[in-house]
Amino acid sequence: MTIRAHNICTSISRATISLLVLLLWPVAGSAQKLFLLEKDSIPLMRGFQVSFDLVGVAQLMFSDYGQYEGALRLNLHDQWFPIVEVGYGKAERIDDVVTGMSYKTQAPYFKAGVDFNLLKKKHQKNRLFAGFRYAYTSYKVDVWCRDLEDPAWKWPVSFDVRDVACSQHWLEAVMGVDAQVFGPLHLGWSVRYRRRLKNDEGIIGKTWYVPGFGVSDSSNFGATFNVIIDI
Amino acid sequence: MVAAALLACACSSIDCPVQNKVRAVYSIRNAATNAADTLRDSLSVRSKRADRTDTLLLNTSSKVVQFSVLMSYTQPEDTLFFYFRNGAYHATDTVWLKKDDMPHFESVDCKATYFHRLTAVRSTHHAIDSITINNPTVSYDDSSTQHLYLYLKSHN
Repeated sequence: MTIRAHNICTSISRATISLLVLLLWPVAGSAQKLFLLEKDSIPLMRGFQVSFDLVGVAQLMFSDYGQYEGALRLNLHDQWFPIVEVGYGKAERIDDVVTGMSYKTQAPYFKAGVDFNLLKKKHQKNRLFAGFRYAYTSYKVDVWCRDLEDPAWKWPVSFDVRDVACSQHWLEAVMGVDAQVFGPLHLGWSVRYRRRLKNDEGIIGKTWYVPGFGVSDSSNFGATFNVIIDI
Repeated sequence: MVAAALLACACSSIDCPVQNKVRAVYSIRNAATNAADTLRDSLSVRSKRADRTDTLLLNTSSKVVQFSVLMSYTQPEDTLFFYFRNGAYHATDTVWLKKDDMPHFESVDCKATYFHRLTAVRSTHHAIDSITINNPTVSYDDSSTQHLYLYLKSHN
């Protein structure tokens, strides 16, 4: 039987989801009213926003993995924001000091979804939004291990698997804010809860880092810090 | 932003399987009824290492209905020596276990290992009557899956 360590991140995830459900419960009652487009003189098409995430870049700088991610978001009446996110995820750990394992992958990923502005006064420059994303990536993995020895027989063993084809579909629940700094420039945060829908991890059993999704066995939560420009 | 990135990186765990040995489970069976039986002799299992010294894979097991033995990572055939003892009685059999090996990866934080698919088994017949494959897929230690049925000869 495989027993897995229960980690603190799982507990934090559950507590946060419970809190979100409690916070959003009153909203559910008046959901129909909330999601209808407001009737006023503001036109439906309010322009586009392009954004770039800086957390993924910082992850690349300070760890073995991370991603470059940009997004194009359509503003419908300051209320609905259909969005497409495109990124390029990378992971490279060579010769782990404990296990001797090496892992390498890099691939693009795509996300599409919609954000909804939760603020009562929608036509202001700052926004609080909730939304979701559907995401997909197809990637190849190289895994190898130096100095692997059979623990009982003591034979040197080769462990070198290249170009293992993998793919993953997942969903993200998003909550975030963005605030106008000056002119068309906004800065914003988002917190994301990721849930794997379907995955193919090839012939090697599991994959460690999935481009756009992150490390498989870590917390399901992620965050972005976005530089946003109104177009 | 840097703090968020560090937090995102830090909030991970090493999630390696606790039972990370890959062992074949041998079930003692009664040759007449094919029902589970008990090992009446004491049994040790050894093999030869790369440097030709002995490695002990099972240390004197007795009165059990099943036992498990480690499998080699990538040798195409494991050669195992089964030593049976019961008072003055002793017998030695050799078991040859052929297999296909599949590299298995969990995480960069976990040691690499190999899973196996048993393809053939044969033995000498001093104490062993016969040995057959019941379930060919061998992965992490799982005592509920019996991979091999071991039928022993009776002796006084």
